[in-house]
Amino acid sequence: MKQRANRRDFLKAAAATAAACPYLIPGSALGAGDRPAPSARIVMGGIGIGNQGSGDQGAFLGRGDVQYVAACDVFAPHLNAARDRANGRYHNSDCKTYTDFRELLARTDIDAIHCATPDHWHALVVIEACRHGKDVYCQKPETKTLREGPLMVAAARRYNRVVSGGSQRVLEDYRGVVNKCWSGELGPIKSINVNVGPLAQLCYLGGEAVPQGMDWDMWLGPAPWAPFHPYRCSGSYNINGTSWRSFSDYSGGGMTDWGAHHFGGAVFAIDCREFEPEEVAYHNENGHEYVSYRYPNGILLYHNHPGQGNLHVVGTPGEKRAPKAVPGYKGNGGIYGDFIECVKTREKPFRDIELAAHTISVAHLGAIAYQLKRTLKWDGVKNEFPGDEEANRLVDRARREPWTL
Amino acid sequence: MQYQTITRSAVATAATVLGAAAAMAEDKPALDKAAIDKAFEALKTFNWGVDHNKYRALLGPIEDAVPATHGDAAARKELETKLAAVLSSEASRAAKDFVGRKLTIIGTADSVPALAALLPDKDLSHMARHVLERVPAPEAAKALRDALAKTSGALKAGVIGSLGARRDAASIADLAALVGDSDASVAVAAATALGDIGSVESAKALQDAKPASDPVKLRVADAQLTAGELLLTAGDKAGALAVYKSLIASSEKNVRLAATRGLLLASGKKE
Repeated sequence: MKQRANRRDFLKAAAATAAACPYLIPGSALGAGDRPAPSARIVMGGIGIGNQGSGDQGAFLGRGDVQYVAACDVFAPHLNAARDRANGRYHNSDCKTYTDFRELLARTDIDAIHCATPDHWHALVVIEACRHGKDVYCQKPETKTLREGPLMVAAARRYNRVVSGGSQRVLEDYRGVVNKCWSGELGPIKSINVNVGPLAQLCYLGGEAVPQGMDWDMWLGPAPWAPFHPYRCSGSYNINGTSWRSFSDYSGGGMTDWGAHHFGGAVFAIDCREFEPEEVAYHNENGHEYVSYRYPNGILLYHNHPGQGNLHVVGTPGEKRAPKAVPGYKGNGGIYGDFIECVKTREKPFRDIELAAHTISVAHLGAIAYQLKRTLKWDGVKNEFPGDEEANRLVDRARREPWTL
Repeated sequence: MQYQTITRSAVATAATVLGAAAAMAEDKPALDKAAIDKAFEALKTFNWGVDHNKYRALLGPIEDAVPATHGDAAARKELETKLAAVLSSEASRAAKDFVGRKLTIIGTADSVPALAALLPDKDLSHMARHVLERVPAPEAAKALRDALAKTSGALKAGVIGSLGARRDAASIADLAALVGDSDASVAVAAATALGDIGSVESAKALQDAKPASDPVKLRVADAQLTAGELLLTAGDKAGALAVYKSLIASSEKNVRLAATRGLLLASGKKE
């Protein structure tokens, strides 16, 4: 922040000089056109700029109130493309590149970062960013394990950081269901269903040469070591065993990948974002497995309930319920604009990390119930399965050395 | 005779109904011992390079036996013993990787010796910690503590991380000494672990630490703040206040602000 203040002073002096010598200073430096003065722009960097990360970068590059100065990725082609996009946007060569995110975070001129690494890196990057005083826009699913959510929230609150999760669909795709539930027209809500999958799977692919420009050890990071295979690290959106999204060492399969959206929409619709289920009941009816989550207020959330469609809601017809105003984004520009506005105002964003963590915990809880094939009790405040030693072993996993949260 | 037959028949029917109901309620897959034995045979030559369908065909019966043996102590013990034996065999790293993942769920103190032996192994240390970090047995914690003297560098940092994840108070003295280690990864891990333990003693150890570099210094401060939060959550306001007071004059603005927030919380102010 010290460097930003110095930069502001310099530009004030520059503005005074421009009045005397208008041809020496480019208009963009003085905030001409649709761009605020540099001192009023949020200085950003990106960590993990593959498939989704490049989309996020594009959204931030398109904003006049952002100055994108740094990119980090462990795969050189992605990294160089990110740098070129930033430099092309500003017609300069200011975007610096990194393969170690810690070096980017150590820069004192960067205010905020966006993170679109594979899921197994999210908690490490977000917490370290908070330690270094950065606000964070983190792609969904925000956590890989149940333990990570509270630790990310704690870091955000400790350092008063704006940390937004990254599902734009929660407010945009499910607006119809959300409005019906919040308007009171369905009466008190009894249940909602989410159909999403598949669960993540182990991956024993391997034995191919690491491609040029790939830092495989850093890509793996805290995940267990495994030999390189292109399907392991592919950022493809397929969840069929051909992308990292499919595999439990890096993600939670469709359960968390699309689950972050669908569970996010469902939990928002039933207005349960601020807490977690207290029971996850496992069902197997004639070979059809599904789970039901019971919230402390009695509302049920189903996963893959037989015969129910995605976001199918059961209300209480004939009973009245007072309408509630649906919260929305702040600022302009969807979820990205919401994040940037909150960076400026220090408000909590629509998908504040605490709400994101509560939501994605639903997916993790279900996955554990399916893995153990039994019903589980959950304490969302203590973040544990009360008295269930076996289930508690799955709340977190050991990180590969030397990585610690 | 007719009455006895009816009674036996009724009892048998009731048992069938109850058994079916119980099976439906939990619906664990039934154990197929022959298939499990065949899978353990396949594990001897298992290695990376197989897709999911092939992996399930080879090792699926062992994977399915984990939930199926829940509540059956004898079956669990048998499964655990067989899995632990693989760890000291000539099986591949991939096979031991698989074993570690299953023992994470069903491992007990009985598997600790086999896992402890792997902690100094650069290829298998992480998978051993995968189990030892999550098994609640005190023997697992001891194995990790003992490994501090047998490991160095990244492996040591990993062992330290697992002790922190276990919130192992018995390792505070060892960890305190390691915060000043010349290896930054070890020092950072030690500081983080002391923060995760979150006791008055671990917080004091952090306060007394002499970090060798700025990155470690930052992590020590963060760990102190973590310890303060854990003390506050545990209801020890006095302990938390002591932590925050020790940080209020930090040279780092972020840390001073965080300590101020902590003081306000410890004084009863809500966020």
